[in-house]
Amino acid sequence: MPHIEPLTADEIRDPELQDLIRRGEALGVPDALFSRILARAPTLAKAVLHAMLHSHAEGNVDHRLKEIIRVQLARTAGDPYFGGLRSARALQAGLDESRIAAGSARFEDDPSFTAAEKWALRYAREMYLNPERIDAAFYAEGKRHYTEAQIMELGAFIAFHYGMQAFARTLGARPLAKGVG
Amino acid sequence: MTEGDIDEGVADYAKSPRFSEAEKIALRYSELMALNPDRIDAAFYDELRRHYAEEEIVELGAFIGFNIGYHTFFGTLKFYPMFAPDGRLVSQEESARIYGAAPASLAGASK
Repeated sequence: MPHIEPLTADEIRDPELQDLIRRGEALGVPDALFSRILARAPTLAKAVLHAMLHSHAEGNVDHRLKEIIRVQLARTAGDPYFGGLRSARALQAGLDESRIAAGSARFEDDPSFTAAEKWALRYAREMYLNPERIDAAFYAEGKRHYTEAQIMELGAFIAFHYGMQAFARTLGARPLAKGVG
Repeated sequence: MTEGDIDEGVADYAKSPRFSEAEKIALRYSELMALNPDRIDAAFYDELRRHYAEEEIVELGAFIGFNIGYHTFFGTLKFYPMFAPDGRLVSQEESARIYGAAPASLAGASK
């Protein structure tokens, strides 16, 4: 049981919040557990879930790449909850566990990743392990692969999801089993 | 709130008479989430509940997590406050000189 008990589905009456929770469940990230913990602060929950879903599943950077990055970040944060969730949409688009694992391993040497994907994976990894390595030259390299809008999209996605993973880690949460909730 | 409150809240809150027990555990929550998350366990959340409602704990936790994520991202972008402590609009170069390469106390900065 997580350290903050989630609300039950019946305790959540706000239609907008209910819809956001359903959208998370349909995507698979987050499952209902994190959403129902957040729902204890309902106004905050709506803002967080909007940002979480938008940054992950919308925008102009490949959702499958973001999913690999999201799992890499959860491993950096030491968070088994978000590290154990998977985007159903990314899996339906062909992402598999071996590619997710490769994104957390020696991706620099992996020819299956493009130079653009490798830059994005390095961006996420270095952000919280070696942020001093993300300098002007690093951003200049990123601009060879991505527009500035895409770099902001990636950076904000990385920062937001890492931050929520840091919080989730302290909650002692684990993914809900399939069919639970 | 003064710059002295902020400095003491960052550096020496545990022994400071400026902060209540509730404020001290909130500051500890933030410090541990960033630096020693393994020390935030069930007993720590029980201690938080002695001072805060669960709604407030969720609010604090998400706020702290958000800041952990975004401050590092913003740090990589190398941008600085638009205004000097005295309220002047300053260039990024001047702002970098004023605020330095790492977060520092603003106590004593001109208002």
